[in-house]
Formats: sequence, structure tokens, C-alpha cells
Amino acid sequence: MEQKKYWKGLEELHNTTSHQEAVKNEFREDLPFEESESFLGATTPRRDFLKYLGFTTAAATIAASCDIPVKKAIPYVNKPEDITPGVPNYYASAYAVDGEYVPLVVKTREGRPIKVEGNEMSAITKGATTARVQASVLSLYDVARLRFPGINNKNKETDLAKRIQELQYAELDKQIAAALSGKSVALLTSTIISPTTKKLIGEFLAKYPGSRHVTYDAVSYSGMLLANEASYGKRTLPAYHFENAKVIVSLGADFLGTWLNPAEFSGQYGETRKINAKNPEMSKHFHFESMMSLTGANADERFTHRPSEAGVVAQALLAALGGGVSAPAIANTRLKEGIAKAAKAIQANPGKALVVSGSNDVNVQILVNAINNLAGSNGSTIDWAANVNYKQGIDADMQQLVSDLNAGSVGALIVYGVNPAYDYFDAAKFISGVQKAGVSISFNDRYDETTELCKYILPDHHYLESWGDAEPRSGYYGFIQPTIAPLFKTRAFQDSLLTWTGNTTAWVDYLKNEWITRLGSQGAWDKTLQDGIIEPATAPAMGGASFTGDVAAAAAKIGTPKTSGLELVVYEKVAIGNGKEANNPWLQEMPDPITRSTWDNYACVSNKLAKSFKMELGDDYEINAEKKVLKITAKGKTVELPLLIVPGIQEDTIAIAVGYGRGKKEFIGKAAGEVGANAYPFVSYNGQTFDYFVTEAKAEATGAKYAVGLTQTHNSYEGRPIVKETTLEEFIKNPKEVNHDRQHLFETYGEDFRNEGTLYTGGTKFEYPGIKWGMSIDLNSCFGCGACVVACTAENNVSVVGKEQVVLAHEMHWLRIDRYFAGDENNPEVVFQPMLCQHCDNAPCENVCPVAATNHSSEGLNQMAYNRCIGTRYCANNCPYKVRRFNWRDWNGADSFEGNLHDTADMNDALTRMVLNPDVVVRSRGTMEKCSFCVQRLQDAKLHAKKEGRPMKDGEAKTACQQACATGAIVFGNVNDKDSRIFKVRNEEQTDRLYYVLEETHVLPSINYLAKIRNKDAAPVAAGHGAKTEEKAHH
Amino acid sequence: MHLKYESTLREPLVDGVKDYHQVTEDIISPIEAKPGKLWYIGLFISILLLLFGVFSVFWEVYFGTGVWNLNKTIGWGWDITNFVWWVGIGHAGTLISAILLLFRQGWRTGVNRAAEAMTIFAVMCAGQFPIWHMGRVWMAFFVLPYPNTRGPLWVNFNSPLLWDVFAISTYFTVSLLFWYSGLLPDFATVRDRAKTKLRKMLYGVASFGWTGSTKHWQRHESLSLVLAGLSTPLVLSVHTIVSFDFATSVIPGWHTTIFPPYFVAGAIFSGFAMVQTLLIITRKILGLEDYITIGHVEAMNKVIVLTGSIVGVAYLTELFMAWYSGVQYEFDTFYNFRAAGPLGWSYWIMMTCNVISPQVFWFRKMRRNIMVTFIMSIIVNIGMWFERFVIICTSLYRDYLPSSWSYYRPSWPEVGFYLGTFGLFFTCYFLFAKYFPVIAVAEIKSILKTSGKNFKDKMDVYEDQSVEKFAHDNTHH
Repeated sequence: MEQKKYWKGLEELHNTTSHQEAVKNEFREDLPFEESESFLGATTPRRDFLKYLGFTTAAATIAASCDIPVKKAIPYVNKPEDITPGVPNYYASAYAVDGEYVPLVVKTREGRPIKVEGNEMSAITKGATTARVQASVLSLYDVARLRFPGINNKNKETDLAKRIQELQYAELDKQIAAALSGKSVALLTSTIISPTTKKLIGEFLAKYPGSRHVTYDAVSYSGMLLANEASYGKRTLPAYHFENAKVIVSLGADFLGTWLNPAEFSGQYGETRKINAKNPEMSKHFHFESMMSLTGANADERFTHRPSEAGVVAQALLAALGGGVSAPAIANTRLKEGIAKAAKAIQANPGKALVVSGSNDVNVQILVNAINNLAGSNGSTIDWAANVNYKQGIDADMQQLVSDLNAGSVGALIVYGVNPAYDYFDAAKFISGVQKAGVSISFNDRYDETTELCKYILPDHHYLESWGDAEPRSGYYGFIQPTIAPLFKTRAFQDSLLTWTGNTTAWVDYLKNEWITRLGSQGAWDKTLQDGIIEPATAPAMGGASFTGDVAAAAAKIGTPKTSGLELVVYEKVAIGNGKEANNPWLQEMPDPITRSTWDNYACVSNKLAKSFKMELGDDYEINAEKKVLKITAKGKTVELPLLIVPGIQEDTIAIAVGYGRGKKEFIGKAAGEVGANAYPFVSYNGQTFDYFVTEAKAEATGAKYAVGLTQTHNSYEGRPIVKETTLEEFIKNPKEVNHDRQHLFETYGEDFRNEGTLYTGGTKFEYPGIKWGMSIDLNSCFGCGACVVACTAENNVSVVGKEQVVLAHEMHWLRIDRYFAGDENNPEVVFQPMLCQHCDNAPCENVCPVAATNHSSEGLNQMAYNRCIGTRYCANNCPYKVRRFNWRDWNGADSFEGNLHDTADMNDALTRMVLNPDVVVRSRGTMEKCSFCVQRLQDAKLHAKKEGRPMKDGEAKTACQQACATGAIVFGNVNDKDSRIFKVRNEEQTDRLYYVLEETHVLPSINYLAKIRNKDAAPVAAGHGAKTEEKAHH
Repeated sequence: MHLKYESTLREPLVDGVKDYHQVTEDIISPIEAKPGKLWYIGLFISILLLLFGVFSVFWEVYFGTGVWNLNKTIGWGWDITNFVWWVGIGHAGTLISAILLLFRQGWRTGVNRAAEAMTIFAVMCAGQFPIWHMGRVWMAFFVLPYPNTRGPLWVNFNSPLLWDVFAISTYFTVSLLFWYSGLLPDFATVRDRAKTKLRKMLYGVASFGWTGSTKHWQRHESLSLVLAGLSTPLVLSVHTIVSFDFATSVIPGWHTTIFPPYFVAGAIFSGFAMVQTLLIITRKILGLEDYITIGHVEAMNKVIVLTGSIVGVAYLTELFMAWYSGVQYEFDTFYNFRAAGPLGWSYWIMMTCNVISPQVFWFRKMRRNIMVTFIMSIIVNIGMWFERFVIICTSLYRDYLPSSWSYYRPSWPEVGFYLGTFGLFFTCYFLFAKYFPVIAVAEIKSILKTSGKNFKDKMDVYEDQSVEKFAHDNTHH
């Protein structure tokens, strides 16, 4: 068949050249992509619009997302044997500063100590810590620490490198050996509880005949030591056993806050304050004081007296107990009745009472010893068999030293761990004395007021870099081992002494030899270091003592109290103490338990006294941070400080905290330098001991105002059922009464209030299979000391904001302790309520976040995804507990903006940042944060159990606040675990006292509180009526 | 759209002797003339304010929200107060253009253009606050639900703040469309009259090729109705949703079911007050007294006294409920910390400005007094600003736990930001007044022959006629 040819046109039929060409180039037109020669001249045709739009949007998105600065981490070239990045190592050590003793377990990460916890093996503290101990890890990284030894040029430079001529230790040792030779040395230290150091000091002093060791405590307990010598023949402190006491009478001893060793006493006291619901009983605590102390705030019955009346109160109590002294006249009837009441309680509980006094007056303490003797405390609540070494300073020795210095009879002065140029009451005299000493050497950690005067400066290690031991109580030992190589060119004080003694042994070997000799083997020493303590397996029997004091003579020497005019008390703040560790931003920012102020000292006055300066409690006082400045004159010394109204302070008393008014910021540090005024000059020497109060003080308003950074301005809980309390008597009578409003909720909404009190049919029930975290806080054993606050700060890298920002209420604490006053303005009841994220199961914060940055975990945690947060603050507004914290500024350099860091306290120095917990991210500016229930610890505990292939045990996961608490007021755990402590507390042990704050809002919090019980006769301030401390008597 | 015949009892909506040409002349010629000195001064001040606002915002973004005096207790202050205030102001425009259009209120034609412009500018100002109040504004796009590589991580549809994002952006879009579609015929008029090339070109582009054909008009009318239908629920929804920010929370003083109607009434109240403020000035300066007559002013004053009274009832209802509910926290918030307490003064400013003073408008003489109206419009806007301040701040500063109670005073960047939005608003408004026909020319023309004074005057003859005569004359056999 013929192949037919079909053609479309003549060109194809004839197959012309043009046709051939056309077939070859099928697509004759160019594709419409235009390429232009120049970039700027490029055209953007319509067809490319979507392409360009897509590209620019994507590019803009990527550019906008890339805001996190990249920081490089360098891995180990040779991995150290003991260090696995990401896995912490724990070392036992001890905090033994100025005689205060807290055995510790130190957490290190990648070779850096970042957190301390109490050593639970110790029978003395039982794992308790205090705020100051918790914060001590930050002091290791203090940028103001001296970094090298040298000779003080004593010039006017503010740069320490110019002020101190750096020298090698070999050269210094040579010079000092020459200087010391043949001289009588005065070694001035605070209380040393290290037996080996003391032995070494003995050897050192023996080398320089005529030398002596003077122990000087900035806040002295000489009165007790001398009184004990007079009463019982030994100049030592006994061991107190608050846990055995049914009646506790404190005459101004702040044993929960600052007295001797609060970590020990808090735990003991806590034992007497816990309520066993089946058999409710608790100690009865009477407190007599002039200012408002933390301990006084926790007392069941509190009475105030003028500072000069302290002795009279002791005498009256002794007289009431029939102690062979005449009862002095006391004008204040309330006080008088209080003394009678306390005496009656003591008499009703023979052998179960404990009376302690914060007075530093020998005669007062002799009377107190007599009271305890009469009360049968010796051998039951006071153990005289044990010698307690917490304080050893004798004021007269210091007086002698100062006059010897001024007489020029001291060849060499060696200062170790004390700063008399700041904290000695007659600092000028000390300063002039030092200048007359032949040689002066300082071991202090910074260029402080005393070091400034010394010629040779050989900074000592921080305790976390040191070796050491401690004997807080006879037979009980603690050990200090370094947890990091010394950061700077510092040298142990003991190494210097050894060298100057001519002993070539290093201190570590000296210590080791000493203990291996005592323990018998290297193995035993290793075990000891691992435990951190040596304590008797069973508590040794307690010993009594026979009282031989001359009560009549002591009573005769009690001065006549003043009856008019102002008096002044000098006290220690719970966080700052004597001021030694003042340059610690965590401590400075920790709100004072009573005044809720930060970063300052001030004149505490009563509302009545404040009124005479035209300032009083009320709205104006509350909303204005600026307080009137008072010029306070006593003993010819003057300070100017803002006033703060403290309900409960004796109305003619002004109380001022020590620890402020330090030297230049460049030397002391940014946190403590040049802040507040020094109150030590108000201390006086009464011929025997230092007195910490002054009569005949004068105060006048200067007309100036000064902003004080308060974290809480309103004092009353306005009768709202957020705090529930009752008396022991009422509670025994009707345990349900304290929670009657909760009962009402049950009656209205049914027992299954959780699911029935909701709009949604069938409830919003999520069963939380597996783990459901919960916390219980016992208001009865929380004393408001603030250890948990600092522990939380340390664990969670909570930012420090500085005073100006606290004034703006920008502080970042995830956990705060609310302090409320109730009742009479002059004799208020106080309640402390730790407040942190309640991890609500029906959380109002979660549903309002537009970007779901805060959400709920399957374990009941209210979580924050910081990366997702855009900072609308809606969640914080909608939080009924106001526990959410917004990063108002760039506190820690986590921000992508350069040069806007807001760091007032050197918290972002490369050195300081070593304290950051690598498990917790630092939050950038503009994000919200809050308590996470220490989720990193919870994860760690879960993973740990998982690795071992077993369920997690109760107590494995502990929050930082729980662990820091001296009294175990915080119980935390898995509420689904029927064997857990938290389950038992909620469902078995404390069902009557259990309540949830703002339960009626149906946010379903995961934290419950246990109602507070006061052991007092009077009916409690009726719920529903707030304190009269507030201006408002509302409906 | 309008009646063919309107009773002479009704006030004319356009005064003076006007024909179509005259209307065009009156309204368009200011666009073609050089602006006066006052305009330059006004614009200059506005731009200065705007720049100060930009600086204040820069300061806040750079150093952090901490430069504002907000704190742990009070997370929102002037920022959200200003946001709600501006959004509220924006309500009048849509109400006038949409709801009054549907209700066939002829008087809206004189004021709708300016009111709509005001709406758009006010919403622009309002939008600044929720954006810049964010701690990490550079992450603001997280609020948009778009597919992403973060999980995929979605927005939280439970959050009233997210509803705001949608509500405000929808509102802005619809208002803008409505306003612009109304502008098309007028832009075309400007274009057709243009004597310079540039003007011809710019207005030509802006008028989207409007020729005035019947088809154009028909579609234009349909679009207007559709958009009016869309905007009507928006008028109610936007402020309802804004009120949800507060109503759905747990904070005493916020957690109130009365909020949606109360907010909407308040928004209209403040919106009309702002329209009064602007138009009283505009009509004076641009000589538009014939188009924005005392009648217009009076009509709006009636709305003000109505909505002001609704708001007043809402305030009293809140007080009643605070007592009647028996909730201690709510009682304290209303009686002790709002009506009294350190911020109590703000509550009484609000009460005075919003409830008491607008009652003068029950008197016709007052309603028709330009000076009184002007002063009242300012007072109402002050009052409404304080209403939002009272709701936000007096609820937050003392809520459940007294330990967190705090106080609030604004810092300079907060004030600066607010002033900056005034700058933005007036810059836009000045440019609008110069370059846009401030009165809807086409719409005025549509009512001119029934409601214009000279046309109504012609009707007088018929008014006097007997019905029989009228029927006879007008009935064609």
C-alpha cells in the first residue's frame, strides 16, 4: 500500500529550509525568563511575583529566627577520669564560718561547685541549711575577691593591681619571716572550730614567744561564755536541745535566724512544731524582745520590752520561779503578765523547758542559767556534757589587744577572717593601733577595711577551695575538702602559718597526717572525707551541771532600765548576718523575713514612732517606696537611714541592722560597697562585754527621702481565707473548724469538687496516669527563714535584678515567702506563707497564652517553653497567686541585643557566671518564667530510676526548696504513689488542716498548705477580719 | 437608598443653596488648593509627636519592657489601656458607615467618610500597643497560625489574645475596604477635575479606572451593601472580643459577664465623641458647615447620651453584682480599691466624665451648642480612657493575695508611646484632610435632592397644599 503523506502546509509538503529550521527549533520563542546584566537593573516580571514573594518571606523568616548568638564549647582533649560532662559529682564538705557550722554536700558540674545541700548524715543539722549557707557558693565566684598576694602600697589608687604590689609567695615568705623574727605576734581571728588549725596556731605562736591568739567575734557571745564560767565553771557553750522542750522561752535570742547556729536549732524547734493530727501537741514558745526578730515572729506569745529592760525581764522571770531574787518593778502590765505566764508554763513542765537569751551581758546570762537550773533544763534540754565551740571570742581580750596595739607593744598583727576596722565598735582606735603595729598581715579574702591597713596581703582560699576540719561540738567532727582548684593565686592561711613556723609540710598533708594518726588508716580517712563527718553512732548521754553562780550579785548588777526616751538596738539581718558575706547579691536580694526589704539597712520603728515623723502605715506609705530619712544620734555617733515601720517593735525602740555601711565598691564589691550605714559604732563596751543596745538615742527627720526596695508592701491578709490558722486548744476541740469554709465548698459542689465544680459537663478530668507531682507546705513548721528562696535562686539561675528594680517590683524570685501581720499593731501575730507556682491543673495562665508557651504536662506540671514566649504578660496578669516573673530587662546576657545588659551586681562576669546551673537555661529578656518544680531534678530522678530499671522511689526527686528547708515544712512527691509522704500527708495524716489557697477559684492547684496552729490561749484573730495594722477596716 | 420625598419637618442635611456642581466645588477644591498655615503647623506637630513615639518605642524595645513602670503585679498598664481606648474610638466609623447604612440613616453621609478614616487611623494606632507591648516583639509572628517547622507548633486558639489578633486584623481589613471602595467615585471626580498631570495620574491610579458607568455604580452599591453586612457584626464583635481579654480571666474586676455589651456601648460612646472632636474642627477649618450641620452634631450627641447612659448602667450593675455575688475579692476590688483606695481618683474621673457630664445632652440647646459639644467630646474621651485604665489597673493592682499588691505610675516611654500614637493618628488625619475628600461627595449628592435645604424649600409649596390639590396636580389623566 502506498504510504500516504499528509501535510499541513505547503512548506511541509515542499520541505523548505525554513520549515526544516522550524522543526529543529520547536519552541521558537525564548522562555520568558529575562536575565539582565546588572543586579540593580533586574526586572521583576509579573510571573515571578509569587517566586519573589516566597523567597523574601522565607528569607525574612529565617533572618528573624536567627537571633540566638552561637557560643562554642570546647570538649576535653583528655577527659578527666572523674568528670563526665553533664553528670554532677558530689563532695562532702562543711561550712564553718565564724563558728557557724553546717555540714554540706557540694554539687559540682564539670569541676565547678554550683550548689550546696545539707549533709543529711549529720545529727547536728540533719541536712538543714540556711540562706547564708546556700548563698556561700556564689561568694566563691565573687569578683571582688583578692586574686594575688602582695604588699599593700596604701596609695589612693582604686585599681587593686596598682594598690597592691604583686609578689610571689616565696618572696613574701622571705620578707615576712624576716619581719616576724623575734617579734611578739598577735593573731586575730574569729572563732575557729578547726581542731587541727588550732593545734597549728599553737605551734606557730610557740615559735614567736610572747605571742597570743585573740578570738574576736563581730557579734559577740562573750556574755554567755563568761556567765557559763561563773555558773558552771567552764567557759564554753552547752548543746541546746530544743526538740526536748515543751516550753521555750527566748529572751531576745533569735535562734531561728541568727543566734549561734540557726540551721541546728531550726530543725530541733521544727520537731516541736509539727502537728500529729492523732495526738496534737506542740511546744509553747514565749518570746520577749525589743525589736521584731524572725524567731519572735514565730512565737506563740510575744511580749516587747525596752532594750534596757532585758536584764529586768530575766530577773523578773527568775523571781517568779522563786529563784531567790527580788521581783523588779515592771510598769508594763502586758509584759508583767507575760512573764508570769511564762513562769507558770515553765513550772508546769519541769525538765521540759528551755530558756535562752540573746543578751551579751554576763549578769543577764547568769540569771538565765539560774532560770534553766530551776526549770530543770540542765541535762534535759541543755546538755552540759558537750562543749559547743560555735563562739569563743572574749570581748575583754579584744579590748586588751586594741589598747596594746595603741601602746605599740604588739610586734606583729596577723588578721584572719575578721574585719575590726569595720565591725569593731571603736574602729578608729583599732585603725590607729594597726598603724603602730610593727608588721601587719591580712589573710582576708578581699581588700576590706582592715586589709586596707595591713602591709602584707595573703588572701586565703574560699572554703570550697580549702582543706580543713571542724569540731563544732566535742566528739562531733566535720571535714572540709576542696571542690575546685583555687581560682586565684590564693594560699591557705594554714600553709602560711606552717611556712612561717618553719614546717615544710603542706597543710593538706599536715591535716591528713593528723587524722590518719587519729583514725588509724588511709582507708578510714578516705571514708571520712566521703562522709564529711565523724559523729558518735549513738548520741552520747546528756549531762547536767550544778549551778554555782552568784544570782544575788548578778541581779544587783542589772542596771535600772530607762523609762522614757528612745533606745536603739543593733541586730543582725537573717541574710546578711555580721556583714562578712554581705557582698553576695543573692543574699542582698533575699527579702528580709520581717521587713521584706532588700539591699539596704534602715531604721526599724513602730507605727507610733513613725507618726511623730509624719509617716504611718497606710496607702501612702504602701505605694511610695520613698521613706523619710531619720538622723539617729546615740553615743555621740550619727547615722542617717530611712525609716521602715515594723509592727510589733517596741514603740520606743529603733532597730538597725549591722553589715551595711561598708567601704568602697571597688574593694568590697558592688553588692555591699557603699550601701546603707554602719551600725557597729552604736555597740558599746560595758567593762566586761559588748552591749548591742544604746539608751538615750535621738531621732529626727532630715527632710530627705530614700527609696527602700520592699518586695511586699501590704502587711495584712485582710481576713481572706488564703491563710488559715487556729489555736491548739481549738484544734483539739474541733479539728474541722479551721477548714470550715472548705467544708462549705464540699457541701455545695460535692466531695468530688475537682470535677463537679466546673462548667464543663463530666468535668475536665484528666487522670494523670503515672506520675502526678504535688507539694504540701506546713505553715506550722515554716519559719520564713528564706533558705528555700536562696536555694531556688541557686538551683534555677534566678536572676538578680538589683535594688532599683526591686523598687519597681521587678524582682525575679520564683519562690517568695509572704509575711502577714494580724491583730494588734503593737503586738501582731505573724504568719509566713511560702508562695510559688501552684502548678494548677486548671491553670488560668495556660489558656490565655496566645502562643501556647505555657502548658500542662502529663505529670501535672505547669510548664514554660521560654523559646516560645513572646512576652505578652497575659499569663502573669491572670495568675491569682502572682507568682509569674517577667524578664523586664536583660539580666543575664541571654538577649540578642548588644549593650543593654542590666547588671548591677556583677552577676554576669565570666567568673560569676561559673555558678550557673548548666541544667537550667538562663532566660532572655522579654520572656516569662516561674517555678518549674525543679523539673530538671524530676527528670534526673526519673531517668536515674529508668536506667536502673525500677520505678522511681519516693524522695528521689526533691525540689531545691524542699531540700534546703531545715524543718521539712515542704513535702514533695508523686501523689499517685500511695506510699509516698505527700500521699500520706494529704490523705491520712493531715486531712483536717489541709487546704488549698484560693481553692474556690477552681484553678485546682497542686500545692496544698497545712493550716497554722498557735499554741496560745486567746482565741485567734477571727478569720474574716484583717489586721489593724492596715488602715482599712473593710466591710 | 433614600426617600424621594422627605418631610420638611426634618432638618435639611445639607444647608445653603447647593447644586451638584457646588457640592463638588465645596468639597474637592480644598484638595486642589494649597493648604493653609495651620495645616502645616498641625502636621509638623503631629510628625514631631510621632517621632517622639518612635523614639519611646525604640527605647522600650532596646532596653526591655522594664523601662515601663509595669511590674510583677501589674502586667498591663498604659499599653493595653491605650489599645482598648483606640480600638473603642475606631468603632464609630464602622457604626456610621455600616449600621447606619443598613438603617438608612441619611445623615450618615455627611460624616461617614471622616469617621471611617478615623476608624482606620485609630485601629492603626490601637494595633501598635499589643505589638510593642510584647517582651520579644521580634517574635510577634508567633501569633500567626502558619505552617511551620517547629513541631508543628500551633497557636493557642483558647487565648482571647489570639482572638484579638483575628478580630482586629479582620476589622481593619474590612474597614479599609469599605472606606476605600467609597472613595473610588470621589477620587475619580478629583481626577476628572485635575489640572496638573501628577494629580491626574495619582488620582487616576487611586480611582482604579472608575468611569461612572451605570455598571460601576451598580457594583459599587452592591459592594457597599455586602461590606456593610460584613462590618455590622464586626462592630459588635471586635469590642466583644477585646472585652473577652478581661471577661474570661479569673481576676476580680475582670471576670465579669457584663463586659461584651458594656464594652461595645463604651466603644460607640467614645467613638462618637472622637468623631465630634475631629469634625467640629474639620468643618470649621475646611468651611464645611453646610454639610456637617448642627443637625449632624445633634444626632451624634443623641448617640452619646444614649451610650453614655448604657455605660453608666453597666457601672452600677457591676457595683451591684460585686455586692450581690458575695465574693469577698470582687467586693474589695470594686468598693475598696476602685471606688476608694490609692487609685480611687481614677474611678471618680471615669464616673464624672462618662456618666454624669454627658447628661447635659438631654437638653436640646446643649446638644446643638458647638462649644459644649466640643468640650464634652474631649471630656468623654478622657472619661473613656480612664474607664479602661480603671478596668485594667485597679483590678490588677490589688487582687487575690495582698502580699503582691502594688501601685502603678507610668514612666516617660509609656507616655511617649501614647503621645506617639496621637502623632500617628493626626499625621494620617492631616494628610487625609488635605488629599482626600473629607465628605463623601457622591453620597451627599445622592441625598441632596431630598435633604438639601434649597430642594426642601421647594417642597414648602406642597406642604401648604391640600391633599386634593396635590393629588389633582400630580395625577396625570
